[in-house]
Amino acid sequence: MVLSLAVAACDNTITFSELLPPLEAASLDSSAGSWQMIVLSGPTQFTVAAPAADTSAAYTAELAAIKATQSKLTAAQRQVIDYWAAGGVLRWNQIVRGLVARYNLPPAPRSDGTYPVPDPENPFADPQFPFANPPYASRAYSYVAVAQYEALKTAWYWKYQYHRASPARLDNTIQALMPIGDLPAYPSEDAVLSGVTVEMLRVLFPAAVEEITQRAAEQRNAALWSGKAAASDIAAGLALGKSVAAVLVARAGGDGMRTAGGNPALWQALKDSAVARGEIPWISQESPPRPPMLPNFGLVQAWLMTPTEVTAERPLAPPSTSSPQMQQEVAEVKHTVDHLSGAQLAIAYKWNDGAGTYAPPGHWNDIAAEYIRDAQMSEVRAARAFALLNMAMHDAAVGCWGVKFLYFNPRPVQLDPSIKTVIGLPNFPAYPSGHSTYSASAAVVLSYLFPPAAADFEAMKEEASISRLYGAIHYRSDIERGKEHGARIGGYAVRFGQGDGAN
Amino acid sequence: MRRVLLLVTLSAAPLGAQTIDDGLLMPRRTLGTGVVYAHDSWSQYWEGTLKRDNANIGTLTTQSVTWMAGYGVTDRLSVIAMLPYVRTSASQGPLHGMDGVQDITLAIKYQLLATPLTDRGTLRAMVVAVAGIPASNYVPDFLPLSIGLASRQFSGRFTLNFQAHQGWFLNGSAAHTWRTKVTLDRPAYYTNGQLYLSNEVAMPDVFDYTVTAGYERGRLCVPISLSQQRTLGGGDIRRQDMPFVSNRMDFVKVGGLVMYRGVRLGMSRVVNGRNVGQATTFTGGFLYAFSL
Repeated sequence: MVLSLAVAACDNTITFSELLPPLEAASLDSSAGSWQMIVLSGPTQFTVAAPAADTSAAYTAELAAIKATQSKLTAAQRQVIDYWAAGGVLRWNQIVRGLVARYNLPPAPRSDGTYPVPDPENPFADPQFPFANPPYASRAYSYVAVAQYEALKTAWYWKYQYHRASPARLDNTIQALMPIGDLPAYPSEDAVLSGVTVEMLRVLFPAAVEEITQRAAEQRNAALWSGKAAASDIAAGLALGKSVAAVLVARAGGDGMRTAGGNPALWQALKDSAVARGEIPWISQESPPRPPMLPNFGLVQAWLMTPTEVTAERPLAPPSTSSPQMQQEVAEVKHTVDHLSGAQLAIAYKWNDGAGTYAPPGHWNDIAAEYIRDAQMSEVRAARAFALLNMAMHDAAVGCWGVKFLYFNPRPVQLDPSIKTVIGLPNFPAYPSGHSTYSASAAVVLSYLFPPAAADFEAMKEEASISRLYGAIHYRSDIERGKEHGARIGGYAVRFGQGDGAN
Repeated sequence: MRRVLLLVTLSAAPLGAQTIDDGLLMPRRTLGTGVVYAHDSWSQYWEGTLKRDNANIGTLTTQSVTWMAGYGVTDRLSVIAMLPYVRTSASQGPLHGMDGVQDITLAIKYQLLATPLTDRGTLRAMVVAVAGIPASNYVPDFLPLSIGLASRQFSGRFTLNFQAHQGWFLNGSAAHTWRTKVTLDRPAYYTNGQLYLSNEVAMPDVFDYTVTAGYERGRLCVPISLSQQRTLGGGDIRRQDMPFVSNRMDFVKVGGLVMYRGVRLGMSRVVNGRNVGQATTFTGGFLYAFSL
């Protein structure tokens, strides 16, 4: 027995779930330049000047430079090529999930019992900026996805204006070191992605700018070294990506995020309002008490809903904190968490997605990535999928947070301090459940994108939602109303997708 | 964080006749068995190298009841088994305690050498092979309230012991532990500066040593010990994050024990650490030997 364990003890290699083979797109999506824009006025909002002729001396010199580089590629350079051959949209989505997990930590309290606020002007300090909590994360994923999608649609438009082929297609002495198809190379989609993403992430995760910039440079190098794009393809793509990012960065500066944290007067007013309605107000259960998470996030600009629609889609009020129904729901939470089966406990941890993780929206990106990979979507179609998914989850966060701070409803632990949670207790009001809202919006969008898997997404949504009851952080009505709300919000992204010209 | 402290708790709360890391063996065809209770608590811990408290935990208490047994197969070869039931709780904050049967430990201890050294006493050398396996399906992903790390472990240990005729003894023991990967219920985790898209966690090896000095006369034995554990890899707990199963859990600990007529009382205290609690542990138990 001891010997067999000694052998087993050597088994310490872990299996990764999201391996990405080189991308061979199932379709060129040559009409993507005409797909509907979200923020830009159209693909000609930014003009990409015509490239030099294939026969020009300048371009010939670019091809010669690629040949020279390919003749002495190092193992490290080949690794860079192989990494980015998987597709930039999927790779950047993985990288952003890593950034969210790195920055999803709340500030530690000061010795006087107050909490410092992360400062975008001083992102390297303690606390680091940002605190990439679930609403912040949903917004970050959505800005990256939308910026990439807008930039790629523009790139596709200009690609099919100029029809310049890839170096490896034009010159048979240049090797194709990653799959290189018939997609025109000018402007380079890899360079577009590197430019638009790095500018977006510079704003969202400023302390990681050095690492992000390096990754982006590697992405452009991979395109160049692999024979996929020439230097002028890359320069044009990089400039286009940065131009599109500037539009999204300007939007982010004025979307309401800056004031989403509120201030002590607002925090008090939320409490007073609940008391005036005869309800028990939410109180932070952290010690020392922590200000609520982003109470004004419900006022952040949605992607696909007007402020009127955001308000109109809200669920009705939760049961009164003094109602018999609320007493029953509190009792259900207590009974559930004190009698959890092993399977229920596993579900609570599977969907915990708490501090230090890529957050609930990251979990749904994790799920979506494998479907997008398996569908072998072109870069622009993959960007569309992540944009629809993440716009829906961002708008779900906006909608959910508006309701949370409208009702300012206490958590189960507050109404019955004998209830103990098996996952971390979020520091914001209970009603409705954020995870249920995110999950329902995501399941609706993914079911639209991948109809054969609709039943799987539905089951995942149900499991994610009920995990909050198992964890003892939500009542059943938080979960039920959250799912309904999220599904309605997800419908906006589905309707956008149905009419965007990509089908 | 808990689990590693527990391991030492167990080895520092020995069977009178022998533990995994002492220099003693059970006589042939003798069974020693008993139960030890341990009460382990801390209110401060090291978040990486930063020592802090946390009002959302208050005092973290771990209680365990461990069944132990040792059997002398021959005069040079003993087998040892241990099985703890563990319960955790936090004195403040909303987090739920956990409880359950933790890991079963099986060890084979072999005496390489027993020789007079000068005219003052006897020198012994031992090798021990130890295996630990989770004995229930407990959750390792809720530290510091998880009851263990849910990894299988295999250790190779070497012990040198000098027993003076006057009753004094000195014992030194060191081990290297290999640990199998741990499977979580979630599909991804962040540790050591990286997001891992996997539900499996590679567990770094652990090195530990213990130096014990004491006095033994008749049925009285009074050892005091200094022990250190070093985890050979793993990440730190990030600022204001929860601990993680593969964290670099290091500590230095001092302890003492009084054993008399099969009854033992002990105490130990962590004096320095990294990604562990500054635990104070009290143990009490009894062991009786039977000739078969």
